[in-house]
Amino acid sequence: MSKILLFPLLILLTAAAVFLFLPNDEKIIRKNLTSLAEYSSTSPEETTITTLKKSTLAAKLCSQPCLIHIESFDIGREFDKKELKDHILMMKKMLPDTHFTFHDTGVSFPENDRAEIMSTLRLKGKIDTTRFTDAYELSIHAEKIKSDWFFSSFTVVEFMEQ
Amino acid sequence: MFLGLSCYLIFSYLLIPLRIEGHSMEPAYQNGSFSFCWRMKYLFSEIERFDVVTVRFTGRSVMLLKRIVALPGDTVEFREGMLYINEKQINEPYVHHRCAWNLAPRKVAPDHVYVVGDNRGTVMSRHRFGQIKIDRIVEGVIL
Repeated sequence: MSKILLFPLLILLTAAAVFLFLPNDEKIIRKNLTSLAEYSSTSPEETTITTLKKSTLAAKLCSQPCLIHIESFDIGREFDKKELKDHILMMKKMLPDTHFTFHDTGVSFPENDRAEIMSTLRLKGKIDTTRFTDAYELSIHAEKIKSDWFFSSFTVVEFMEQ
Repeated sequence: MFLGLSCYLIFSYLLIPLRIEGHSMEPAYQNGSFSFCWRMKYLFSEIERFDVVTVRFTGRSVMLLKRIVALPGDTVEFREGMLYINEKQINEPYVHHRCAWNLAPRKVAPDHVYVVGDNRGTVMSRHRFGQIKIDRIVEGVIL
């Protein structure tokens, strides 16, 4: 291959590698969402220490304070990190065999340091001997604080009205 | 190669395979079973009462499977587990398990339909049903 062709090819490959591997804001937010799902999930073998650690890590992904709005549960207020950690811990104890995943996630940036995320949260697990599966549409906001992204609000989108 | 490409296009955009998880549409659609939905179903026909449809959240990876029981402008009511549309009791042969649901009459808004699962064997508060905007319907289930 001639040197004339090799040079542009190298530039092209470098640009592709930078595009693929360099973290950008959207990739960071998607990674945080995956981590949040992982920390919120609980397996039956999980030790109490791990449950505590995962609850703390999940709360650390959220801003101080963080707004939670679930109309059907009559919840609509700001939570500080300690409260969030306690609620995540309580939820993990109530659902000791449940896997959380996010699907069909869309991220948009109305401002440089603010992101709007639409995603479907899916829960799959077992309570006692009964298997269950559930899903919720979530509208999430995230804020960039000192180069890190934190989730600042979670709203369950209630699109079905009895 | 042509066959592979055709299969990809058909099963990705026209005849979408569904894996059923959950019990809300039993006995017609059992937990763990497979079905298909036909994306062209509502291209040439209108949505009809008793159609089984998939309802989207933010995309097509996870959807709800429900049956349309009422159309825009209809009045929906449950009395002791029996469905009433426009004050007429509806015979629902697809419902095998029912609890004594009671729901006061309500009118379905324009551009909305009322969807319910076939399995009414759980208490009303634990069953996800109600009116949804028509644009939430992704496609009709054909099998």
